[in-house]
Amino acid sequence: MIQRLLPFLTLIVLFVTLSVASPYFLTSTNLSSVVRQTAVINIMALGMTIIIIAGGIDLSVGSTLALGGLLGTMMMERGWPIGAGVAVGIATGMLCGLLNGFLTSSLRINPFIVTLGTLGILRGSALIISNGLPVHQIPPAFSFLGEGTVVHVPFVLWILLACAVAVHVLLEHTKLGRYAFAIGSNPDAALYAGIPVAFHTTAVYTIGGMLTGLAGMIEASRLMTGQPTAGQGYELQAIAAVVIGGGSLRGGEGSVIGTLVGAFIMGLLSNGSDLLGISPYLQQAIIGAIIILAVAVDELRKRRMA
Amino acid sequence: MLLELREIQKRFGGVIALRHGNLSVDAGEVHLLLGENGAGKSTLMKIVAGMLERDGGEMLWQGRPVNLRRPAEAAAIGIAMVHQESLLAPHLTVAENIFLGRAPALPGGFVDRRRMQRDAARLIEERHFPLQADWRVDKLSPAGKQLVEICRAIQHGSSLLIFDEPTSSLSEAESGEVFRIVRELRQRKMGVIYITHRLEELRAVGDRVTILRDGETVHAGPLADISTTGIIQQMVGREVTTIYERQPVPPGEELLRVDGLNRAPLLKDISFQLRAGEIVGLAGLVGAGRTELCRALFGLDRIDEGRVQVGGEEARIRSPRDAVRAGLALIPEDRQKTGLARALPISHNLTIAALDGLSRGGFLDGAAEQRLVQQHIERLRIKAESGNQLAGRLSGGNQQKVVIARWLVRGARVFLFDEPTRGIDVGAKVEVFQMMDELARSGAAILMVSSELPEILQVADRILVMRQGRLAGELPGRTTPEEIMRLAALEAAA
Repeated sequence: MIQRLLPFLTLIVLFVTLSVASPYFLTSTNLSSVVRQTAVINIMALGMTIIIIAGGIDLSVGSTLALGGLLGTMMMERGWPIGAGVAVGIATGMLCGLLNGFLTSSLRINPFIVTLGTLGILRGSALIISNGLPVHQIPPAFSFLGEGTVVHVPFVLWILLACAVAVHVLLEHTKLGRYAFAIGSNPDAALYAGIPVAFHTTAVYTIGGMLTGLAGMIEASRLMTGQPTAGQGYELQAIAAVVIGGGSLRGGEGSVIGTLVGAFIMGLLSNGSDLLGISPYLQQAIIGAIIILAVAVDELRKRRMA
Repeated sequence: MLLELREIQKRFGGVIALRHGNLSVDAGEVHLLLGENGAGKSTLMKIVAGMLERDGGEMLWQGRPVNLRRPAEAAAIGIAMVHQESLLAPHLTVAENIFLGRAPALPGGFVDRRRMQRDAARLIEERHFPLQADWRVDKLSPAGKQLVEICRAIQHGSSLLIFDEPTSSLSEAESGEVFRIVRELRQRKMGVIYITHRLEELRAVGDRVTILRDGETVHAGPLADISTTGIIQQMVGREVTTIYERQPVPPGEELLRVDGLNRAPLLKDISFQLRAGEIVGLAGLVGAGRTELCRALFGLDRIDEGRVQVGGEEARIRSPRDAVRAGLALIPEDRQKTGLARALPISHNLTIAALDGLSRGGFLDGAAEQRLVQQHIERLRIKAESGNQLAGRLSGGNQQKVVIARWLVRGARVFLFDEPTRGIDVGAKVEVFQMMDELARSGAAILMVSSELPEILQVADRILVMRQGRLAGELPGRTTPEEIMRLAALEAAA
């Protein structure tokens, strides 16, 4: 039980430590900047949670994010309304997820390989489409998505909450969620129970892609550019958030609340390091160590259970 | 005497696999080892080959007592085994497999590949095996793989070679080839132990025979001195301990009709019907195609030809999903692997096949689900703290109940039980039988695959017997084990 709560305790300890260690930590400017920084990874990680629960993995989310953000902003550059641009970004992510899902479930290729391939394909596509150049001609109002405030709270936090609730409901209260757990927990048993495994696997990747597309638009809004090189290395952060939050790469385990906690742990670590003047190089090493630690603790718990 | 086993004992947990295992083999002799499924043949041979350690008894090798703890130790004194499932390295060549672990060495730890290749080629040529030293093993047929294992045994200078059901996966021509080799090994004064299930092969190859029943050697002697009927009697001749007796109900409407089902390479021209209220046993030896028939009916393997009707309607079953929709249920043999999601709660496992009816627009009706779960936990007396308990934490019998209950929740009408009592204790077995009986009484049709003849005889209303992919015949429920074995193991009308 203690080990299950470990991510929460870690988050609380981090929060308290940073409050004591730095006078700037508990200011609303700083906290809202943590929220804004974390939101992009967080929303991607929510999609990753469903995929990992269903026994998959998506290494292409960084590239998906870039392609979604790029196409969305390009449409705005051409004079499309902001809403339509955002919709294009989300739809792009959705199609990328559909592609991943189709390749893994229909061709039965290991998702690690499939998404390693699409990581390259999608990144390459973004660079080809943009000629390697970022999109700058974006309507100023678009910055509200990433930087705006609603009822004293960053707009992205509302979006994140809405996504979290939606994914939680999806996982716990829908057929799709139940099937995702079943497929991830024991794919053979899922097949024997008459679950359309291929369809639901594809659906899971598609939903993950949609969330990544949305994250891509938020990232574009925060930078006010459509960057074909955006999101490099984000896949590792998203996977790390899920794993630190108790998701298992063997499938069948994971939760929305765990993933949120995992993402915020990483967000606080990065913010804290900035505040305390710790080198960003060291930050990366720390996050890597924490991933290994989280998984090791989880393994120990399971071994004791078995 | 080359090998002598005296009173070998072996237990796995609480299960006694061998209690009085006796066997002796001479050089230049082909010794048949016979027995029903689970009689202890493979266990005994694994002890000889150093894959298992015995709990009691004596093993003499060329008159001297030996204690083998690893396969390498058995190989060192000259004992080799050709396995049911090939134990070769699939990505390596024939030559590399023959010399696996003893490749000719050059100074500095390098392998003398040329010598290895040359020696392997010579070995293959001398025996006229249809092999090439540089072929990759995973491209070979099952028979080809066995030839490689035989070459390996000869190369290693083995003086005893054990064949564990060598012909169960071979074609007739390939079996003929194996017999030819067995005879040649005999001429070279090697001892051969040959485990088989298929009685008609007996006369072609054996000198002497040892029959095991329930972990005990019940007969040993020259093959010429015992008739095939005598062998069958010795194999099944245990007292049938009655643990359950079913009162059949009059069968109702036809729920499953199979006409001319074919699936290459095994299943041929299978036709039968199941009626509501019936429990039909499906007997046969290992490899006869019982599990394959269940898989084909349930849409796990595509059928090549044949019609399947469920409840009087044509069913086109191409996936388990189609089968479930048509009203079929499969309770697989391997619950851990294919039945349960062990890391998920009992409730999820119970309702996973019935979510179509428990959801609206994709959203689950949690209250209705909860009610169903509670109802079925009580109805089937599943011993669990609550529906939230993880399925993997239940006992074997209760896990089996969860898998069965899943199909009750779904409302399936035709149940395919594949070895429903495997790995559960006697008390739980009776409960499983009672559940099957209740199912039948409530109008379901049941096909029960079992290797336990006494259980089939106690539960089934009638018994279908499979042999080499065909239905060899049908017997009434009140038949004898001898009759079943005769159909399962002999040529029709032989």
